[in-house]
Amino acid sequence: MPPRIQSHRVSNSLLPFLSSSSSTSSSTLSASASCLSRYDFSTTSVSQTRHRETMFNWLNNEGSVFKYHVPGETNYVTRLQKGNDASQSSSPDVGVENKKPFPGNQDFVSESILSEELRMEIYKRVVEQKKSIRVVSVELRVDMRRVGAVIRLVELEKRWKQLGKNLALPYARAIHEMVPTTPLATDGNQPSHESTNDLPIHRLTEPQIFYPVPESRPFTRVDAGRVFSGAPALVHKEAEKSRDHLAAVDDLVRRTRTFERIGKGANEQQVLQPADMRIPHPQLILVEKDRMDHPNEYRERVKRYNERLADQDASEGKRRAVAVARREATLKHVEPETSRFQFRIQDVVVSRTTTGRDGRGPNAPGRRYGVPSQECKKGQVKIPTEVIV
Amino acid sequence: MVVRIRLARFGNKRQPFYNIVVTQARSARGSKPLEVIGTYNPIPKRPTTLFDDASGTTRPYKDISLDISRAKYWVGVGAQPSDSAWRLLNIAGIVEPKPHVQK
Repeated sequence: MPPRIQSHRVSNSLLPFLSSSSSTSSSTLSASASCLSRYDFSTTSVSQTRHRETMFNWLNNEGSVFKYHVPGETNYVTRLQKGNDASQSSSPDVGVENKKPFPGNQDFVSESILSEELRMEIYKRVVEQKKSIRVVSVELRVDMRRVGAVIRLVELEKRWKQLGKNLALPYARAIHEMVPTTPLATDGNQPSHESTNDLPIHRLTEPQIFYPVPESRPFTRVDAGRVFSGAPALVHKEAEKSRDHLAAVDDLVRRTRTFERIGKGANEQQVLQPADMRIPHPQLILVEKDRMDHPNEYRERVKRYNERLADQDASEGKRRAVAVARREATLKHVEPETSRFQFRIQDVVVSRTTTGRDGRGPNAPGRRYGVPSQECKKGQVKIPTEVIV
Repeated sequence: MVVRIRLARFGNKRQPFYNIVVTQARSARGSKPLEVIGTYNPIPKRPTTLFDDASGTTRPYKDISLDISRAKYWVGVGAQPSDSAWRLLNIAGIVEPKPHVQK
């Protein structure tokens, strides 16, 4: 905004009486002192200082580049400083600079976020094309948990749009310009957003165990897993079989494998599996093995990969059908005429076996009597700390 | 003394949750009942999970868990359901709807 002409005149007339470092209080004083002058009709502050003029000079010359920002980039004043540095010293690292959203904190380097196109592509593939989260995660190189989160958030966004709620689009746009984003590749070479196949740390692997093994005895990762979970060692024949870990991974990918469990009651848990089986995408091990064995049979490899995934989908579907049938067997759905709700009546068992002798058994229906609720106790975390995909 | 089938409120402020209990009519709401035969969660839930896709409904639902054989037994020996318990037992198909009494 260029300064108004009138205020120019005022400042000029009062310039000899004001020091350059006049504060607001002195300006109000001088304004009241000039009340009797012929400018008493003016409501403009009289402190038209040199600062204001230099500000407008700067805005009209150097600063004019900041008036409209380049989409996809930040619009910080520090850019001028950087420009000077760059002209003096050669080759500034543009890639790294772009990852620093806060010019005051040069130590903070931001990770990339998903671009809008990539986000919508994930949603499209999972919800519209009905691909599994596992497949989409491998194709677009995004973690499975993030894929799940994207789907939930896009669903939420759609619901909000339906309800007519306002979305914070300017905010989203600003964030996308501040931090780097992972684009959606059009030519099929999708850049990796993050590492998708990290091995999670299992609780059972935390203790350090001293376990002496004779040199003459083979001891593999399968055996180590058994030691960690306190399972007895395998007999010789089974141990021989367990060493074919690719077959085991294949079974796992096709979902035709059952896992041994150990422990009693509430302590029952699955025997710890080797790392090949615990990574998020074990099917990629087989893909890699296939590529090493048959480097020139691309189509055959893709066919085998798809076949494995189809097997997996079929087994998953079967398992889900069994789970639903088991659940529905004890559940009755009632939709009364007079109510807008459905009632789901689960048949439970009240007997000595469920309630226990003192009536406080954990399997009995209903809230317990005489067992205080931990709800208001100190240190109870009520915010969910993880989402199971 | 009369034995009643009624609801006992649990849960926190604005998060009601009820045990369906069999108890003496004159005992306090929070006292220990003869038997807990089920629960009722009056807060409706939206069908979102995989299981709900299979059931193919769009209505919000409320969960009731009930030992139906025990409920039939207690009704058979003369336990009197309260109005709200009567409604739930009717939904579960154990008793006829309560006849409307003209005042």
